[in-house]
Amino acid sequence: MEHNGRRTFLGVCLGGLAAAVAAVTVWPVYRYLAPRSTRATAARVDIPEKEIPEGEAKFFEFNGASAVLVRKRGGGLIALSAVCTHLGCIVQWEKDKQDFLCPCHGGHYTPDGVVTAGPPPKPLAKLPFSVANGVITVG
Amino acid sequence: MALFKRLIDWIDVRIGAREIVAKELTGYLLPRNINAWYSMGSILLFIFAMQVVTGILLLIYYVPDADKAFKSVSFIMNEVPFGWLIRTCHAIGSNMMVLVLFLHMLSVLFMNSYKSPREFNWLTGFILFTLVQGISLTGYLLPWSQLSFWATTVATNSANAIPVAGPYLVEFLRGSKLVGPPTLGRFFALHVALIPLGMAAVVGAHLFFLQRTGVSTPPFGQKETANQWQGDGYRYESHPGGIPFFPNYALEDLRSIFIYLACFLAVVFFAPNLFFTSDSFLPANPLQTPAHIKPEWYFLANYQTLKIFPNEFIGLSVQGAAMTFLALLPFIDRTRERHPLKRPLFMICAVGGILLWVGLSVWGHYS
Repeated sequence: MEHNGRRTFLGVCLGGLAAAVAAVTVWPVYRYLAPRSTRATAARVDIPEKEIPEGEAKFFEFNGASAVLVRKRGGGLIALSAVCTHLGCIVQWEKDKQDFLCPCHGGHYTPDGVVTAGPPPKPLAKLPFSVANGVITVG
Repeated sequence: MALFKRLIDWIDVRIGAREIVAKELTGYLLPRNINAWYSMGSILLFIFAMQVVTGILLLIYYVPDADKAFKSVSFIMNEVPFGWLIRTCHAIGSNMMVLVLFLHMLSVLFMNSYKSPREFNWLTGFILFTLVQGISLTGYLLPWSQLSFWATTVATNSANAIPVAGPYLVEFLRGSKLVGPPTLGRFFALHVALIPLGMAAVVGAHLFFLQRTGVSTPPFGQKETANQWQGDGYRYESHPGGIPFFPNYALEDLRSIFIYLACFLAVVFFAPNLFFTSDSFLPANPLQTPAHIKPEWYFLANYQTLKIFPNEFIGLSVQGAAMTFLALLPFIDRTRERHPLKRPLFMICAVGGILLWVGLSVWGHYS
């Protein structure tokens, strides 16, 4: 019994040591491979108002993803995520039709981001923005 | 445990796994007087695996473009979490691989294990030795530092000494008249693809020959130390009553690997710049040659040999002759005696050769 007890104790010690070695090997490799930062691009973006004429859209990087500002016909401004809610492709602005098209699987959205056709399950996410002194600040 | 046994049973009835284990591991017997030097091959396999893993990790951030290579290496060293560790392990690992390879070759040499019927083992080992030198040389350029650039310039330029074809050979090696972006492209391809694949294939062949011929018996502690091989037919050298490879010698191998790791990590953590000079921290500048550019320590003897001969071609020929002699050693040395102390001429030549190599290296370092 004593012999078995000693064997078990040494086995547990060895197992613990092996786990420690594995941990100090895996941790640096994990940290090396882990994405450096999800905020690769600014969480606040300033865009001059004059860059977005009526009926046009401007795409930009926001908080590590693609976003779009649209000035609807009639003057209304809206900031949306440009990531299609179906499978993550980036939507394109169709100026002549005044809507968004996702070229991947034919999803259509209104300038407000509401789904009008195709497979997207949800509207495009709205982003907060403010306008002051001719500058639009998203975020 | 019952589940584990069922899994093993499931595999065993399909591929006969227990039979392989009995034949190749627990029933694979090694000579009773085997020593720690027989672990060098296992350490080398471990180093090769580590070089492959750290090399793949470096590929994630390294950019093989002359304008970006140095910046990408600086980024790995300074910005990426633990990038310094991965890169230092790779750079020091390459030096350690050469060092352990030397020890492996020396142990085979002094135990006279290269003799018949193990010519194939020696030849494949020798090919691996040249491939390791090749992978070290090509990897040296990749950081695109002043040291990389000018050491590669000097190394590739030595081919110039070959009559007639020399100048074209230099241009072919570099991909251009001078070392430049085309050199980086071809050295990168050689370093990360062609040479590692070649090494894996030759390692496979080396192990295959070992498995077919059997492990040699060390000549130490034996009454009869003459080579018993007759050459009349194929015979596997078995060791009845010997030590099982698994678990007995596998644990010895593991111990040797851990001793190696202790030495390796001591360099990584306490002397990380041992193999770097100040020129390796400056980006390559093709218009400014730094003073006293020297190759890596294992090429210092070659470097000094080229310097001491008045004609570079003679220097190159002497090195070629020495390498050919070493490659063909089992075919030249046909004596049966395997104990080095019973072979005074062999000992004088071997020790003299090593001292000459060390002397030339030291001379090369201080010249």
